[in-house]
Amino acid sequence: MDDTWGISGPTFLTYFIGATIAIVIIAAVHRKTLFRGDRSARVDNLGPQQVAYLNGGDRLAIYSSMGGLRAANALGTGPGRTLIRTGPLPSGVTPLDSAIYNAAGNGVRTRDLPNDQWVASAIEQLRDHLERSGLAVSAGKMREARLWVLGGLALVLIGIARIVAGLGNDRPVGFLVVATIAAFVLTLTMLRTRRWATDAAHRGMRDLRSRHTHLAPVNSPSYATYGATGAAMGVALYGGAALYSMDPAFAAEAEVQRIAATGGSAGSSGGTDSSSSSCSSGSSCSGGSSCGGGGGCGG
Amino acid sequence: MAEYGVGIGWRPEIAGFVESLPGLRFAEVVAESVHAHDELPTGLQALLDRGATVIPHGVRLSLGSTEPVDPARVDHFAAVAARLNAPLVSEHIAFVRAGGVEAGHLLPLPRTREAVDAVVANVRRVQAALPVPIALEPIAALFDWPDDELTEAQFLTEILDRSGARLLLDVANVYANARNRGADPEALLDDLPLDRIAYVHVAGGAEHQGLYHDTHTDAVPQPVLDLVAALCARHVPPALMLERDGDYPPAPALAADLDAIAKASGYPPIT
Repeated sequence: MDDTWGISGPTFLTYFIGATIAIVIIAAVHRKTLFRGDRSARVDNLGPQQVAYLNGGDRLAIYSSMGGLRAANALGTGPGRTLIRTGPLPSGVTPLDSAIYNAAGNGVRTRDLPNDQWVASAIEQLRDHLERSGLAVSAGKMREARLWVLGGLALVLIGIARIVAGLGNDRPVGFLVVATIAAFVLTLTMLRTRRWATDAAHRGMRDLRSRHTHLAPVNSPSYATYGATGAAMGVALYGGAALYSMDPAFAAEAEVQRIAATGGSAGSSGGTDSSSSSCSSGSSCSGGSSCGGGGGCGG
Repeated sequence: MAEYGVGIGWRPEIAGFVESLPGLRFAEVVAESVHAHDELPTGLQALLDRGATVIPHGVRLSLGSTEPVDPARVDHFAAVAARLNAPLVSEHIAFVRAGGVEAGHLLPLPRTREAVDAVVANVRRVQAALPVPIALEPIAALFDWPDDELTEAQFLTEILDRSGARLLLDVANVYANARNRGADPEALLDDLPLDRIAYVHVAGGAEHQGLYHDTHTDAVPQPVLDLVAALCARHVPPALMLERDGDYPPAPALAADLDAIAKASGYPPIT
C-alpha cells in the first residue's frame, strides 16, 4: 500500500502538529507586539466609562454609564423593558451619559442603545481617545492579529483533506482526527478572542482594581454611599454583575447581561459571550463608522 | 484603653467609605465575619496598615446561656483578637441559643442572681482563653422578664465587678430602654460605673407604633446625641463609634452622623 500523497502518516503528523504549534506561537508573539500599547500610558486619570470600555468594550461602557445614571436616580425602566428617565440629568456628566439619557427619553431598550446615533458617536469619541493614548487596541490591530486565523483555517482544511484521502486509501487516521480537531479549536480561540485593553492598560487596570476592591459585588457594596461615580466604577471594574448587585430589579428589567470584565486576567475571556450576541443584532453596522470597531464581530 | 476618639463599625458594604476617613483611629468588626487564619478583607487590612485599632465584636458567643460557651467559638474569638492585634474584644450580655436551639437574635436575660452567675461563669471561661481584656455590652430589650430581682444598673455592676470585665455602653440602647419604659435615660447613667467604660456604641433608630426601635439602619436622632453629650459631661469615654448595619445612606449622611457624635462628645471630627 502506498502512503497517502506519498508522505508517511507519522511524517505528515509531525509536520502538521509542528505547523499548528508554529502558527499559535507566531500569532501569540505577533499579538504581544500588536497589543503592547504605550508603556507610559496611565489609567489612573480615566473616568469609569473609559475603564469600562477597556474592560469590556462598548457594551460595558454603556452599562457603566447606566449604573451611574441609575445611582443618580436619572434612569429607570418602563413598559416593554424600555429605558425611561426618572429624574433630571445630573451635572458634570459625560457625553455618553447625555446620549443614554437622551435615548431613554425616546424609550429605547438597552440592547438597542449601541444603534442610537448619539450613543454610537459618544462611544466612538471615547474609543478614539483611548486608542490615541495607547490604552485601547484598535480595530485595525485586532484585524491584523486575526489574520493568523487564516493560517489555522488552512491547516484545518489540509487536515480534513488528508483524513478523507486517508480513509479512501484505507489508512488509519485516528491521530490526525485528534490533531485536526485541536487545530480547529485553537483557530476558533484565535478568532473569538477579543480584547480592548493593551498590555500597558492591563497592568494599570490590575492596580486600579486592587484599589477598588470595596466596589466588588462580593462585598455587596452600598452604592448609595459610594454615589454615582462609585456605581459606574463598580460596573466598569466588575462587569454587569455589579449592576445586579447594586439594583437587581433594574438590571433584570433592563436586560443587562452579566458579562465579566476582563481587565485582571490575561484578556482572552469575555469575547466568547459578547461575540455571540452583539453580532446577531445585524443592524449595529447601520451607524456607519462604528461597524467592525468594537462590535467584536470577527473584525 | 488609650483615647481613640470617634470610630465606626467596619462593614464590607461601606469599606471604601471607612477607609477614606482621614482621622479614623479605631473601628470595630463583627468577630464572626473574620477568618482567623485567612487573609483579611483588603479594607480592614488597609486600616491596620495605617495603624488604626480594630476591635473584634462578638455576636454569637451567647454568654448568657446557662450551658458553657462553645470552646470552638471562644478559640475563634481569641484567634481573631490575636490576628487583629486588638487591645480589647467585646461581646453582648445576652443569649442567642438555649438547649441547642438558635434564636438567630440577641435575647435579653432575666435580671436575676442566677443569670448573673451564668454570665460571670461564661465570661471567665472566655477570659481564660483570651489574650486581652473583654468588654460587655448590655442589649436593648422591648420587655422585662417578670422575675427580675435586680435593677439594670445593679445587674450590670454585679456582672462587671465579679468578672472584672469592662463595659461597652450602647447609648442608643440606654435611650431605647428608658424611653420605651417611660424612664429617664440619664438616671441609668448616674447608676452605672462609667469609669469602667471601654468604648461606646452610638446608633440610629426609629419610632414605630409608639415604641423606639434601635434599628441601626436610620440616622442617629437628636435625643441619642443629647444622651451622648450627657454621658460625656459625666465621664468622657476613651472612644465612641457609630454602628450602622444596613440601609446605608450617601456618604455625606454617614459623615454627618460621625461629625454629630464628635460634636456631642467633644472629640475632633474624623471626616
